[in-house]
Amino acid sequence: MTRRTFIKKVLKTSSVILGYMVWLGGKVLPRKFVKAVPGKKYPGRVEHLRSFTEQSEWSG
Amino acid sequence: MWCKLKVQCELCPKKCLIGPGQSGECRVRINIDGVLRTVVYGYPCSIHVDPVEKKPLFHFLPGSRILSMATVGCNLHCKNCQNWEISQANPEDSTAFPCSPQRLIALTKEANCPSLAYTYTDPIIYYEYTYDSAKLAKQAGIRNVLVTAGYINEEPWRRLLQYVDAANIDLKALSDEFYRDVCSGTLKPVQKALIIAKASGVLVEVTNLIIPTLNDKPEQIRDLCQWVKANLGGETPLHFSRFFPRYKMRHLPPTSLKTLDLAREIAMEEGLQYVYIGNILSKEGQNTYCPGCKKLLIERTGYTILQSQIKGGKCPDCDKEIYGIWQ
Repeated sequence: MTRRTFIKKVLKTSSVILGYMVWLGGKVLPRKFVKAVPGKKYPGRVEHLRSFTEQSEWSG
Repeated sequence: MWCKLKVQCELCPKKCLIGPGQSGECRVRINIDGVLRTVVYGYPCSIHVDPVEKKPLFHFLPGSRILSMATVGCNLHCKNCQNWEISQANPEDSTAFPCSPQRLIALTKEANCPSLAYTYTDPIIYYEYTYDSAKLAKQAGIRNVLVTAGYINEEPWRRLLQYVDAANIDLKALSDEFYRDVCSGTLKPVQKALIIAKASGVLVEVTNLIIPTLNDKPEQIRDLCQWVKANLGGETPLHFSRFFPRYKMRHLPPTSLKTLDLAREIAMEEGLQYVYIGNILSKEGQNTYCPGCKKLLIERTGYTILQSQIKGGKCPDCDKEIYGIWQ
């Protein structure tokens, strides 16, 4: 193997490894969100709003 | 399938890394199949009509009533939380009412309220619901008020503020250690949120809850007042609020009136013009005085306005402009 062929092989292999690492990183790293999508269903109990005009007991 | 299932929520400084089926620290933003979903959108746990003074907002449409709503959840976990039954509740253990942003606006009009408050827990964690409702409210001529701890990242904060008229933002202490130990948060993002809100033209009032032994030392109060004056301006109303033993802080006594009075004195010495005492009956600590001529402008008892002298946002005697939204 000539020096030129060897360097070519090293470059090719490292670019394949680098490409794989980038692809893997994209798969493994978490997707980032600022805004969330509304859920399809409320996980707790759902009732109809009855009276809302009185003052709240909560602070604020 | 294992790929790309974790999501990262970048709404608040906690930047929760959320596994499949799990929620962030706020309990309401959930990773469902690799997508971040807000399960409380359109599902408030509480809707009421309160006096605006209860938020507390003393420089925003005094004497008016405000439709006030919240969903469960919070991104902070303050050991002293007064509303922990809803702020620290899981959506699956709670009861909610279906209420779209459109219905929320309709209810505000039905109750004859000029404004709508996102309050009780923290509007930041139900961000999308707050944002959509605030946008619709603005189009309908209804003003928007946030009552918040201000623990949010800059980009979503700026985006929300374009629809916000007024905000009461907690500054719980001027100490990162306090935020970490008591609230499971950090101080810097809150300072940044306060500065951004004020610079965006939102009417900002600040609340500081004084907790005996934790943030009640005169030098701590003085530092906080100096920071408010230097960064938000002397015209920013500051409310010192009385602590009551609640949630995980039942071992501490309520704040004494003496401590609250001293805090008010310190704040005024430091050049803050409007300083109030809340959660306790106090004669002078609930009134608004003109910073120019010291005339009594608004006399309050509890959440009731006894008299208001402000004319066109100014003191009728010396014509000094009074910081606020008055009509």
